Amino acid sequence: MTKNQLNAYIALLAAQAVVISLFENAIPFPFAAAPGAKLGLANIITCMALYTLSTKDTLKVLTIRLILATLLGGTISTFMYSSAGIVLSFIGMWLVKKLGPDRVSLIGVSATGAILHNIGQLIVASWIAQTWTVLLYLPMLSFVGILAGIAIGVMANYLLNHVEKLHNYRALRELNE
Amino acid sequence: MGNCLKMIKRWDIIIVTILVLISFLPFTIFSAVQAKNDRDPDRVNIAVISVNNKVVKRIVLTGSVKTRQFDVHMLGGDCNTIEVKNDQIRVKSADCPDQNCVLTGFISKPGQTIVCLPHRLVIEIKSNHAPSQEIIVSS
Repeated sequence: MTKNQLNAYIALLAAQAVVISLFENAIPFPFAAAPGAKLGLANIITCMALYTLSTKDTLKVLTIRLILATLLGGTISTFMYSSAGIVLSFIGMWLVKKLGPDRVSLIGVSATGAILHNIGQLIVASWIAQTWTVLLYLPMLSFVGILAGIAIGVMANYLLNHVEKLHNYRALRELNE
Repeated sequence: MGNCLKMIKRWDIIIVTILVLISFLPFTIFSAVQAKNDRDPDRVNIAVISVNNKVVKRIVLTGSVKTRQFDVHMLGGDCNTIEVKNDQIRVKSADCPDQNCVLTGFISKPGQTIVCLPHRLVIEIKSNHAPSQEIIVSS
């Protein structure tokens, strides 16, 4: 990949992530039982970035996505919640991916990302409310989170295998390692 | 569907199981802490009876095995009869029009209240170190 290709690819992933998260905000909330739970569709992009880009470039995609999504459709409080979620879920996904492609597939990676995103948000919420009881809400959120995470893992796996460019980039990345 | 199952690897299942367990961790810790608090011998519940926002009586509920009964008189001649029994407190009878305070029955946990609005009487149970039980969730 040349420098220009890389820049364009990073920008493309970030733009897709922003559009997906704006689109997700526009969907009326589907789970009446667990208010606050989200599908986390933008996780697809994080998975693809993790598998096709180096760690440094993945962080670039995530930072751009976080800032742009906040500026376009968020507030300071959503910025705090999602930045904690993104940082924690990125660390978790990176560690899980380190287990290697023979042991763990995209399903495990994206489920980890989904749950750790929820945990990060709830930690910030309990810090703001100054009470740890907020964490009791975790099982409800993580139930939706795990199901959505598995579905997104399957989806990202199909994209990586069947979109030709992504497939090539992934092979390229694995060669460089 | 077959492809879907084929891509699941062994560690995926391990990881998802661990994640499910982690998500119940706070719940377990909280119930353990709660159980410890309940068994704490130092904890003393106090019922604070106030009329018109002024405290008229404080009663130590913990360890009150014997049944006690007394009247609280208001300014206009109104009267509430309060009973303390087995670490619990209730309004036994009152001459207020709605009888809400009597219908509330016994209370025993920190934070619980009995309110008699017509007589402006409030009974609240306080603890010397009460764990806050309020949960506020907003999305």
